Amino acid sequence: MKTVLIDCSPKKKLSASGFIAGFTSLFVMGEKKKEKLRTKADWSRVLDAVADADNVVFSMPLYVDGVPSHILPFLKEMELRRRENSPDMNVYVIANNGFIEGKQNEPLMQTMEHFCERSGIRWGGGLGIGGGVMMNVMRIMLLVYLALAVFRFVAAGILGSWQAGPWIVFGKQTAAILLLCCGIIAFDIWLACRINQRKEYGKHYTRIMLPSFVFILCADLFFIILSVIQGGIFRGWFSRKKPTRMTN
Amino acid sequence: MRLLIHDRSEEFSQTMKGKFDQVIYADGKYAPCQGCFHCWTKSPAACEMKDALQEICRVIGQADDLTIITENWYGGYSPAVKNLLDRSIGTSTPMSTYRGREMHHTLRYGKHHQWRVVVYGDTTDGEKKTWALTAKKNAINDGFQQSEVSFVTDLNELEANAL
Ligand SMILES: Cc1cc2nc3c(=O)[nH]c(=O)nc-3n(C[C@H](O)[C@H](O)[C@H](O)COP(=O)(O)O)c2cc1C
Repeated sequence: MKTVLIDCSPKKKLSASGFIAGFTSLFVMGEKKKEKLRTKADWSRVLDAVADADNVVFSMPLYVDGVPSHILPFLKEMELRRRENSPDMNVYVIANNGFIEGKQNEPLMQTMEHFCERSGIRWGGGLGIGGGVMMNVMRIMLLVYLALAVFRFVAAGILGSWQAGPWIVFGKQTAAILLLCCGIIAFDIWLACRINQRKEYGKHYTRIMLPSFVFILCADLFFIILSVIQGGIFRGWFSRKKPTRMTN
Repeated sequence: MRLLIHDRSEEFSQTMKGKFDQVIYADGKYAPCQGCFHCWTKSPAACEMKDALQEICRVIGQADDLTIITENWYGGYSPAVKNLLDRSIGTSTPMSTYRGREMHHTLRYGKHHQWRVVVYGDTTDGEKKTWALTAKKNAINDGFQQSEVSFVTDLNELEANAL
């Protein structure tokens, strides 16, 4: 059984889509291939990879309530090729979005379902993840916590006493992160199981396990810090800017 | 301001000029969004990429009524139109709020009136349902008070439908 997992984010690195595709592949059996689909230059490689695949998993961000524009022409190309030769293929979708409600991925899921209908591909179902951006923050935090634990452990050891304290703290921090991501982890492993069985998964939506008002506070803080660092806050952050030139 | 965005042709733009305050032909000759959010955090309301869409959010921001004419692609916008929409998230700010009982971004240009979509090309019943949902979601996301979708099978009817 061959499964191709495609990271459809336009980001070169650190995409949430790539992360969740990688995480999913941990639980998928058989031959697996991870692909990145950013530009037209990737098309022929990805089309070749999916040509003889049993399962294709599209992992993508939600852009303006839909599929990101750069993916659409690829889908059309895949549809055309599928019409010529149509081996037995299942398509699954993992969508992640910025807002906390995973349900906001519904129009994207329906679009991908229609793509399957038109291409004669079996729709295997999809998982929509709300607050997907947080997955990135969390994996970075996990690494920072680990580095801190190692540092504190070694520093205390050099000073004369090797202690378990830093590891207990690290254990608690990891547990907190796993708790926030428990819905994502559970639904994703379930998806991987269905892929392994080549069965339909249905459509499921999950999210980072935070109340939405807490998530909004976190998101606001994140963008305030980013806008201070990148300077946008001082360049008319909220201002109703008028066009300075004609568009078309 | 009444704005028309379409994916037909330069000639179609000429026909529609005068009937709308501004007409934009989404010709697809531009880069897709790179997902950097610089239009919020670095150069507010302007894209990093200096092509025809650099200030598209400022144009959409001025629109009270937006009409989009697009070919049907799996129950969604054509790539050229979707590219334009993806590049326009500067119409909102990076700060979040609740709208329609869901999380959304606050609006840089305040509320707008109507988000209308005229869809052409072969469209299945399932795709029509997706269109209604997409237009409704887009309207909420971008702060438009109402949404409307119509479907056109005869291309000669496009003009009449858009008005
Ligand atoms: C152009 C653009 C449009 C977006 N539109 C939405 C949206 O409509 N709803 C939403 O919840 N998130 C939206 N987002 C947020 C992304 O879905 C979110 O940041 C996602 O985690 C990015 O995934 P990636 O790292 O794999 O690219 C948008 C982001 C961008 C850049």
